[in-house]
Amino acid sequence: MGTILVVAEIQKGAIRDASYELVAAARGIEGAEVNGLVIGSGVGDLASEFASKGAGKTLVVDDPAAANYNVDVWSKAIKAAAEASGADLILISNTPTGWDVAPRIAAGLDCAFVSDAIRVAGGDGGYNLVRRIFNGKLDAEVSTSGKTVASMQPGAGTAYEGSSDGGTEALSTDLSAIAKFVEIKIAASTGVDLTKADVIVSGGRGVGDPEKFPEIIQPLADALGGAMGASRPVVDAGWLDHPYQVGSSGQIVAPKLYIAAGISGAIQHLVGMKASNFIVAINKDPDAPIFEVADVGIVADLFDIVPALSEAVKAAKG
Amino acid sequence: MKVMVCLKQVPHQDARLDVNADGTWIQEDNIKFEINSYDTYAVEEALRLKDAGDAEVVVVSIGPDRVTAALRTALGMGADRAVHVNDAAAQGADALGIAKILAAVAKEEGADVIFAGLMAEDDNASAIPPMVAELLGFPSATGVLATDFSADTVTVERELEGGALEVVELPKPCLIAIQSGANQVRYASLKGIMQAKKKPVDVKTLADLGLAESASAAQNKTTVNKVYVPAKGDTAEILSGSTDEVVGQLVTKIKELGLL
Repeated sequence: MGTILVVAEIQKGAIRDASYELVAAARGIEGAEVNGLVIGSGVGDLASEFASKGAGKTLVVDDPAAANYNVDVWSKAIKAAAEASGADLILISNTPTGWDVAPRIAAGLDCAFVSDAIRVAGGDGGYNLVRRIFNGKLDAEVSTSGKTVASMQPGAGTAYEGSSDGGTEALSTDLSAIAKFVEIKIAASTGVDLTKADVIVSGGRGVGDPEKFPEIIQPLADALGGAMGASRPVVDAGWLDHPYQVGSSGQIVAPKLYIAAGISGAIQHLVGMKASNFIVAINKDPDAPIFEVADVGIVADLFDIVPALSEAVKAAKG
Repeated sequence: MKVMVCLKQVPHQDARLDVNADGTWIQEDNIKFEINSYDTYAVEEALRLKDAGDAEVVVVSIGPDRVTAALRTALGMGADRAVHVNDAAAQGADALGIAKILAAVAKEEGADVIFAGLMAEDDNASAIPPMVAELLGFPSATGVLATDFSADTVTVERELEGGALEVVELPKPCLIAIQSGANQVRYASLKGIMQAKKKPVDVKTLADLGLAESASAAQNKTTVNKVYVPAKGDTAEILSGSTDEVVGQLVTKIKELGLL
């Protein structure tokens, strides 16, 4: 295998855990040489850290033009680094940054592309990867030929914790951009703070009807002294407002008890709740991915179980 | 202004998913298909531009005959025209191959703005839209929840993590990949469906687009070798029995957690 270029992502002034997961994935490929890439402004120290904590020789694009993420700047920087390092595999995390820029790199290099992979290994003239499809219901084994760009699912692997030799090397390239960064906006707080609840009862698409949330889901949350949540499709359909959404694009929660009713368990939901202390899943589909993160599962109609559970909880409290 | 919307027809979200005979995709016979949900938000975003002014909305899809139904639905919602790339050689083309086809259609149409959904519900790849933009030299933004159009530019809000939004300004021509939930998608009205029957659907082959040698499945750099139901890891303890029995067991568990 050849050289693997690992693209770091900086969040809140530090290199993200997901970037060290990429390092671990790259280091797991037999015979590969690992190189890093750090893009930003005033990121020399972070690049040194990346170089010494697993990425090895690390290219740094340190430029005021890269102070904020910009698709054109990142696209140009990564293409230049791919060329400078001679990498035949470029790894990036499948985050809002990764899904914005990674496909552009592959199209620009006219090479293979695999997104949101959970595993990567060397292959015959390319790489072999595994990824989830159909919202986690099936897995796919994918092989590539020649140079490959791959984005990896954050959290699918563990972060690299070893050290490495290799200094940093400045890379300067044309970073002119067509797209223009304006600002980052933080959505206004709405008072629904699920992160403080001890118990969350969330409903998904399986609840089937917006009126069933106040009728079925909220009463169980109330009985348990907890809060009501929802999965993304519920919020997208306008059944509940965005503040109720649990998941990577909503609230990340870890209550003492999380009850998921009619939620199949798309990865973006699992990311938001899998750290909960105790998870109960209620779903008609025995193959629903939610059962893989649950402690206890009930394969049944939520309309039978949830109201009965509300009554039983009330009775138990006396 | 010419607005192009990329549409994918995917298995219905409630369709039964059985792996096909050669184990490389799902069994597609006798299942229902629908427009990829992300793409419905893209169609809606385009139709709002049309409602607001002089945009012509062209919906484009690649696939076999069944794809006509998805295009007719989008025409029924209010799109003006459809382009259907129907060519057996494009079946199974990888993301870059499909992106080359869409880029060729966009060039032919002279699209000023291209809308697409952030990802497809079947392969969950979110690969094609930025590729199309790269091939055309257009700026792009993905995961977009809001758009604000002015004469020469579009200002978009991209969804990041934890409730943050990134505001980006794109000069036209550009590509915008819409996040699900960006808007309330309209339904095709009965009148719209009747009118859609008279709207043109241009059927094209790869040769028509000058792509016979460059965008077919034979050019794939990425191949799906095997599709399978994931091995269950540490799966949940499944409670069984009557509703009362199951609920009784759950209450016991909740008591053990000290929550009752």
